[in-house]
Amino acid sequence: MLKRSTGEKVFNVFNIIGFFIFTCLMLLPIVFVLKQSLDIALAGTLNISLIPKKPSLVFYKMVVNEESVYRPFLNSVYITIVGTSSSILVNAIGAYTLSKRQLPGNKFMIYFLVIFPMLFGGGLIPTYLLMRALGFIDHFSALIVPGMASGWYMILIRNYYWSIPLSLAESARIDGAEEFTVFFRIILPLAKPVLSAIALFAGVGFWNTFMSAIIYMRDPKKYTFPVKLREMILLQNDNDQQRMEDMLQSMGLDPNKFFLTAEGLSSAMMIISMLPIVLVYPYLQKHFAAGIMVGSIKG
Amino acid sequence: MDTATTVRKYHKNQKKILTRTNIMLYLMIAVPLVLYYVFRYIPMPGVIIAFQQYSLSGFKYWVGVNNFNTIFSTYFFWEAFRNNWVFVGFGYFFVTPSPIIFALLINEIRVRWYKKSVQTVSTLPNFVTWVVIGGLFIQLLSPSTGYVNLVIKFFGGTPIFFMSRSALFPWLFTFMRIWKGVGYGAIIYLAALSGIDPQLYEASVIDGANKLKQVWHITLPGIRNTILVLIVLSFSHVLKGFFEPIFILKNPMNRSRSEILDTYIYTIGILQGKFNIATAVGLFKSLISMFLLFFANFMSKRFTEDGRSIL
Repeated sequence: MLKRSTGEKVFNVFNIIGFFIFTCLMLLPIVFVLKQSLDIALAGTLNISLIPKKPSLVFYKMVVNEESVYRPFLNSVYITIVGTSSSILVNAIGAYTLSKRQLPGNKFMIYFLVIFPMLFGGGLIPTYLLMRALGFIDHFSALIVPGMASGWYMILIRNYYWSIPLSLAESARIDGAEEFTVFFRIILPLAKPVLSAIALFAGVGFWNTFMSAIIYMRDPKKYTFPVKLREMILLQNDNDQQRMEDMLQSMGLDPNKFFLTAEGLSSAMMIISMLPIVLVYPYLQKHFAAGIMVGSIKG
Repeated sequence: MDTATTVRKYHKNQKKILTRTNIMLYLMIAVPLVLYYVFRYIPMPGVIIAFQQYSLSGFKYWVGVNNFNTIFSTYFFWEAFRNNWVFVGFGYFFVTPSPIIFALLINEIRVRWYKKSVQTVSTLPNFVTWVVIGGLFIQLLSPSTGYVNLVIKFFGGTPIFFMSRSALFPWLFTFMRIWKGVGYGAIIYLAALSGIDPQLYEASVIDGANKLKQVWHITLPGIRNTILVLIVLSFSHVLKGFFEPIFILKNPMNRSRSEILDTYIYTIGILQGKFNIATAVGLFKSLISMFLLFFANFMSKRFTEDGRSIL
C-alpha cells in the first residue's frame, strides 16, 4: 500500500464530496418526477421540498383506469414479450450457422448481414413505402418483424458458441446426432449466459420502441407507451385542465376535490416506464460488458 | 500426417456444398437472411425516388438532380444540417471526454460500497428511453412548476424559460447526453484502468512522481488505445441516434437550434408527404455517413495497435 501525502488526502475528501453532489444531481430529475407523480398539492408555489405535501396515488389510478393510457402500456408489454422471445430464437439459431467457419458462403453471410447494411441503407422514406406496401401501417408487425434478426446480436452469440469446447459437439456427432440435435441439445443449453444478455438488451430495446411507432402507428389504439408518454408531455404544455377533469369524472371521482395537473399524469407514466428497467437492472449489470460490445460496434 | 495434409483432406470433404448437414445449417439461417433481404435490401433501390417527381400517389416523372437543387437552396435544410454538426461537435468536445474524466476520478475512490453505488446510479439512465429522459428534464426545467425554477424563485430570481430559449438548446441537450451516458460510457474505461500494472505506480513514486504526473505518464498512456478505438468507432455513426432525443425535446420556440436532418426528413417526408425531397435529404445524409465510415476504417487500420479493420 502506498503512503498518501497531505495533498492526496485533501483531494480524496473533495473527490468523495464531489461524487456525492454528482449522485444527487443524477437523482434529482428522477426524485422530482417521482414527487410530482405522488403529489396533488397545488403546484408552482414556493415549496422546494422533494417530499409530497398531499400524497396520493390518483395519477397511478388514472393510468390504470383510462383506456387511452393503459392500452399503449399493454401494447408495449405485448411487443416486448413477442419481440424479445422471437428475436432470441431467430438470432440463436442463425448464429449457429454463422459459427461454422468452413460452411460455404459463411463469409458472404457476414457481409450480407453485417457489413453491407452498415454501408448502405434505403433510408426512412423507401422503408416507409415498403411497410405501406406490406400493409404494416397500424400493424404491430412493423414494430417487431424488422427488428427480429440482428447481425450484431448473431455475431455476439456466435463468438460465444466458439468458446464452447468442440469436443462436446463432436462426441454427440459420433453418437449419430444431426446438426439440429447437436444445436438444441448441446449448444443451446450451454449458451444461456449470452442469450440472457441478448434477451435483456433486446427486451429493453422493444420496451423503449418509439421511433418506428411514431412513423408506422397512426391509430392511437396502436400507440406504444413511449409514444403516448410523448403525447402527454406535449399536452401538459397546452394546460389541458378540461381533459383531466373529464378523466376524473369518467373514473367517478370529483374533480373539485383534487388539484390535478397533466404534469402529474405524465410523471406517473414516466415512473411506470422506468420501473421494468429498474427491476431488471441487477441482472443487466452482470451483462454490461457484452452490452458495451454491442454498443461500440453497432452504435 | 502433417497439418497441411490434414487441412487439404478436410477441404476435400467439404467440397460438396449441398450435404445433408449443410442444408440443415442453411435452413437455420434462412429466417435472418430473408428478413434482412426484405427489410434492408428491398428498400435500397428506393433511393432512386430522390431523382424523381414522386408524391403520395406515386411516381410521376424523372427530374434528374432537381430535388437536390431544391434542398440545397432551402434555408431550413442548411439550418438542420448546421444543427446536426453542432451536436456532433459538442459531442466530441464535451460528451466524449466526460466518461474518461468520470472513470479517472471514481477510480481514485477506495471505499468500495460508495464507488459501487455512485456507479449504479449513474449507469441506470443509459437504459431509459430518450422519451422519458426528455420528459424528466422538460418537467425539471418547466417555467411554472419545474424544480430548477422553483429554486430560482425561492431565492428571489425570475424564472427562466429553459426549453424555449433556442440559444440554450445545444447546451441543455449536451448536458442531458452526458447525464444519460456518462456512467455507462465509463465502464469500458474502468476496465482498461484496472488492466494497468500497479507496479508502474509504485516505481513512479520511488522516482518521485506526484499524482498528476502519474495520471499523465502512466494512466492516460495506459488507456490511450481504448480511447482511440472508441473515438475511431464513433466516426462510423456520427449522424445517427439523434432522432429520438430531438423529437421529444424539439418545440416551436427552439426549433431553429434543435431541428436536425433526421427530424427534417420526417417532417417533410412523413408529415408533408414530399417523399422525393425527403429521400434526397436522406441520400445526401447516407453519403456523408458512408464517407465517414470509410474514413473511420482507414483511421482504425492506421491507429489501432493491431491495425484492425472495422469493415
